[in-house]
Amino acid sequence: MTAVRASDPATRWTVADPVRLATCIRLRAVQMVAPQGFGYLGQALSAAEQVAAIFAVARPGVDRLVCSPGHYVIAPFAAAVELGLLDESVLQGYGKNGSPIEAIGTERSPVMDYTCGSLGQGLSAAVGFALSDRLRARDARTFAMVSDGEMEEGQVWEAALFAGYQRLSHLTVVLDANNSQVDGPVDTITTLEPVVAKWAAFGWHVADLDGHDTWAVLAALAAAEAERHQPSVLICRTSTRHGLDCLPPDSDGHFIKLTPAVAQAAVEELTARLVGSRA
Amino acid sequence: MHEPPYATRLKPYGRALVDLARSREEILCLSGDLTRQCEIDLFQAEFPDRFVHGGMAEANMMSMAGALARCGHIPFVHTFGVFATRRPYDQIANAIAYPAVPVRIIGFMPGISTPGGPSHQAIDDMALMRALPNMTVVDIADAVEMAQVAATVVDLPGPVYVRLKRGEIPVMFDDDHQLSMTNAAVLSHGTDAALFASGMMLATALAAARALEDNGVSVSVVSVPVIKPLDAGTVRRVAADARVVLTAENHSIIGGLGSAVAETLAEAGLGRPLRRVGLQDTFAEGSLTAPYLFEKYGLSVQHLVDTTWTLLARSGPAPTASPLVADVDEYSPV
Repeated sequence: MTAVRASDPATRWTVADPVRLATCIRLRAVQMVAPQGFGYLGQALSAAEQVAAIFAVARPGVDRLVCSPGHYVIAPFAAAVELGLLDESVLQGYGKNGSPIEAIGTERSPVMDYTCGSLGQGLSAAVGFALSDRLRARDARTFAMVSDGEMEEGQVWEAALFAGYQRLSHLTVVLDANNSQVDGPVDTITTLEPVVAKWAAFGWHVADLDGHDTWAVLAALAAAEAERHQPSVLICRTSTRHGLDCLPPDSDGHFIKLTPAVAQAAVEELTARLVGSRA
Repeated sequence: MHEPPYATRLKPYGRALVDLARSREEILCLSGDLTRQCEIDLFQAEFPDRFVHGGMAEANMMSMAGALARCGHIPFVHTFGVFATRRPYDQIANAIAYPAVPVRIIGFMPGISTPGGPSHQAIDDMALMRALPNMTVVDIADAVEMAQVAATVVDLPGPVYVRLKRGEIPVMFDDDHQLSMTNAAVLSHGTDAALFASGMMLATALAAARALEDNGVSVSVVSVPVIKPLDAGTVRRVAADARVVLTAENHSIIGGLGSAVAETLAEAGLGRPLRRVGLQDTFAEGSLTAPYLFEKYGLSVQHLVDTTWTLLARSGPAPTASPLVADVDEYSPV
């Protein structure tokens, strides 16, 4: 399949309502995960507003989008269907045998300009994009989705150091701080805090915000665009269960199991919310 | 071919990369804090805007190079072979080999050419890179080929790993010799033993062949600069004409040239006694000089002569070979 990518010159999309897009991402993600009964739904739930905001701000055919944690690619796939970048039928293949829409995104996944299957490597790719654009005086921004657990990988800090030194101000990291990794809450595995101070110390402009407040994410992205001397990072505080009240409270955020009954309830809940928002 | 002792040329790779970059604006030069050591101080001086300090951060450097290649740049990434392969293996696999983007990874200081000890000796770099799908693997140590390698690989469609010796490089081939990515070079024909050699061991193989020929052993010497994709046709053809086969590489005998030749012979059903000369599944050690290591770990001319002689079951003691004269300025400590 020919991969459509965000920065391909012919790529076009429009986001009319980013708040609504976030709910659509959740609904599509539920529908992608439901046939298998399990999958990376928590990543879509925690990142929905961030992905919606990125697509709302990024210039189609120009700006570059990176998804560092490949498990999150479900959210950009869901957004891509809403925005007409992927055919709706493609989503039925999510995670299935022989499908180009793999459950864990890879370096060949469509939609994003770059998706990393192995964690902690996407920021380096984003740095490469930003460096290329600066070398060629190409007026483009690079948006990189990164997760808080990835900060455990040393390479993230290699890339952060490089970007800070190079003052790659056209690079914006949207960091999903959902406090979730495979073995449990991140803060039961290691101490990442103070996250804001860490990035600031590496020479980054830092915002610390509620990642489920779409308008706050949009405002922070606007402030990042105005920043002319440093790369920017948005520390988005989120939850892997946000926006889906019907999920059992003990759901494993990294890999949510979705029984048919819960999936049905989830579709109804999200559909009702979409109808309500239209009213 | 020239005869030993070989004249040497200084930094043939670094000079050639600068020449190539004059006409190829897509070329970027990345350095992992080993700029002079990888001969790219020349590039930095000539094209400072296309030179990028990656610093001591190989993982970031490789992932970044993969993204740069996607944007249409042709990144030549430089560090020592050991750091270019072991440290950022996952990054090379995912960001470079899997999407098959044109990153050129240049790893200096192959095998035990450095007395810097196991931390600095790239004894498994070819094995690691050869295991990656889409990767081309090159091992050369002649000044004429080194001056050609950048231009020869620049337009290959996928990624390339090139291992290169540093500093003063022997001139073995004539100047009209052309490095080939597809054909191994059959330098002599013989019917007793077939010697396949890559990189620094080519000079060793030629010296060993001379000693053997002087004592009635008919030897083929094949220069195999490209370990992957291997010129299997030439390997089969030359091996079929000989009674025994030997490989010589400045690398572990596992996963490099010796393994590639063994696989080719076995798959062809070509039964020939085979000996792989190289590091015998061992780490080496730190020392003062590299020739000491080549002697101690069985990568000397005499060792290759002895191995061939024994494999052919020749009677009497093996002939004594002239050792290679160590190159001037062979080792610059870092």
